[in-house]
Amino acid sequence: MRDPVTTVRPAAWPKTPALKVGPADDACNVLIVGVGGQGVIMVSKVLALLAQSQGFEVKQSEVHGMAKRGGSVFSHVRFGKRVWSPTIPKGDVDILVALEWAEGLRWLPFLKAGSGIFICDTKRIVPPFACLNRKPGAPMRYSKETPAEVVAHVGEAYAIDATDMAEQLGNERAANVVLLGALSTALDFSSTDWERTVAEFVPKKTIPVNLEAFRRGRGWIEDARTSTPAVDVPAPTPATAAPYRIRLDINPAWCKSCDICVKMCPERCLILNAERIAELAAPDKCTGCRLCEWLCPDFAIRVNLDAPEALAR
Amino acid sequence: MYIETAADFDVTDYLRKEMMPHFLCPGCGHGIALRALLWAIHDLGLDRDKLAVVSGIGCAGRLSAYIDANTFHVTHGRPLAYATGLALARPDLHVVVITGDGDCLAIGGNHLIHACRRNLKLTCLMLNNEVYGMTGGQVSPTTSETRLTTTTPLGNQEPHFDACALATAAGAGFVGREVTHHVPKLKELIKAGLEHPGFAFVEVLSDCTEIFGRKNDMGSSSDMMMRQKSEIRPSAYLDTVDTPFRSNALPTGVLTRNDRPEYGAAYRQAASARAGTSS
Ligand SMILES: Cc1ncc(C[n+]2csc(CCOP(=O)(O)OP(=O)(O)O)c2C)c(N)n1
Ligand code: SF4
Ligand code: SF4
Ligand code: SF4
Ligand SMILES: [Mg+2]
Repeated sequence: MRDPVTTVRPAAWPKTPALKVGPADDACNVLIVGVGGQGVIMVSKVLALLAQSQGFEVKQSEVHGMAKRGGSVFSHVRFGKRVWSPTIPKGDVDILVALEWAEGLRWLPFLKAGSGIFICDTKRIVPPFACLNRKPGAPMRYSKETPAEVVAHVGEAYAIDATDMAEQLGNERAANVVLLGALSTALDFSSTDWERTVAEFVPKKTIPVNLEAFRRGRGWIEDARTSTPAVDVPAPTPATAAPYRIRLDINPAWCKSCDICVKMCPERCLILNAERIAELAAPDKCTGCRLCEWLCPDFAIRVNLDAPEALAR
Repeated sequence: MYIETAADFDVTDYLRKEMMPHFLCPGCGHGIALRALLWAIHDLGLDRDKLAVVSGIGCAGRLSAYIDANTFHVTHGRPLAYATGLALARPDLHVVVITGDGDCLAIGGNHLIHACRRNLKLTCLMLNNEVYGMTGGQVSPTTSETRLTTTTPLGNQEPHFDACALATAAGAGFVGREVTHHVPKLKELIKAGLEHPGFAFVEVLSDCTEIFGRKNDMGSSSDMMMRQKSEIRPSAYLDTVDTPFRSNALPTGVLTRNDRPEYGAAYRQAASARAGTSS
């Protein structure tokens, strides 16, 4: 299921071509961010290899510890005549490439004020900890900023639905290469060199789809510079009505006061009462997760999820 | 988050309510395993008139008495022997054995290895609580090294059996292991075992809070469950980074699955061929 979207027309698309970041004495700083499994490291490796093949000194450093769990992943790529430090200081990023919307916003403070370029997929991957309130229907905690608001803070920003473009090519996983195409427009390497490096990195069978993804990303930015494209971006998810009401049946004749349900309830809403029988002390916190029902060795708890209309009757 | 919405399973539909509450001590993991079994039976929509549960002696063995189906509470260590006869005579039945670590691996160890070897279609659910619970807490073949029991007052010195490795080595067609804390996963594992066309052995890491837990100062049932959870490594993670897992972690999930010929079908085929030639 796709997230709900709203269409926003950013007011401030730059009409002039982007500032090309060239091989000046200062290193060029590119920060690539996203979520584990999206291909952040691949993007940074293509860029690093390309820059190296063009005679630059390159330093790349990454953090991908949580990659398997859908956690935050980032990679710093610095290249120039001489590069001393492998990481980019806050506020010194020339180009920020984000494969996920909230990750992009999280790293925005690293972008160079005024001149930094922000290229971001509008893809949303809501992390588990965004669901702090686990009650069904509760709103998720996810960034509420619209691209228009973001663009106002950034010299040059592109919100691009790279995942959708990759899906249209039949391979959602090529979204990172769409963004690589977008990134290529901001750097002074020839597209032949880019495409050669991409082809070196992707599995042989996927070279055609990845090259097409690269070209579409590049083309999208070129179009965006001359026109004002409308982009579909995620809208904050509104709170919905809970799909059901939760009712716990606790059978005092079967409860043996073992305390398992009390200790294991993730919301800590059960207690042992004065008779040492399990009791739902905080019904408003109960999410209906059924853990207490499953773990009661004495079958003393039954969690009922009633449809709202059944309650109204 | 994950919410189980298929709420049509009410465990009490599958219990002999007049026998409840059951006799297990407060917090005994066997009750959770029983739920998982009944849930699996419900999910598969098995006809309870065609379901036969055979169990031996012990707290685990006692569980068949609470199931509203055809049940046999047989002699200590022999549920697999009775079940073998039943499954051969009545191939139309779903035969499930509930057994304990003592029942299955000590007095019944011989029956286990030969049941695995034959690969007759039946499902064996072994509830491993590392102890003879019913008789007051004697050492069992699965008691971990150094654990205290009434017969190992200095701490157990015997190496323990890995029941799943044993069943695999003896030729079982399906072998799996799960902790009681992962109820939906345990249910799915038992389901896979019930659906397997040959001999299916499922080890449940259960706990005996009252006797084994108390003797070894292992805390409450929830403490014991959490400890077990920290000591396993789901088979899906067997070839990933080692970091969150202990080096001696027990693998869980489906550990063995093969399509060795099933004994009952082979036997019936040979028997009917024989009948054909002699008449
Ligand atoms: C032939 C025979 N020997 C010994 C016993 C005593 N006995 C009853 S239950 C049991 C051990 C049960 O241990 P286990 O199978 O692990 O079940 P648990 O109680 O731990 O669930 C023993 C030795 C018996 N009932 N019959
Ligand atoms: S269903 Fe049970 S375990 Fe889940 S939140 Fe409610 S009381 Fe707690
Ligand atoms: S888990 Fe069951 S038996 Fe134990 S305290 Fe809770 S309701 Fe009672
Ligand atoms: S003695 Fe142990 S295994 Fe038996 S019912 Fe009590 S806690 Fe469970
Ligand atoms: Mg036992």
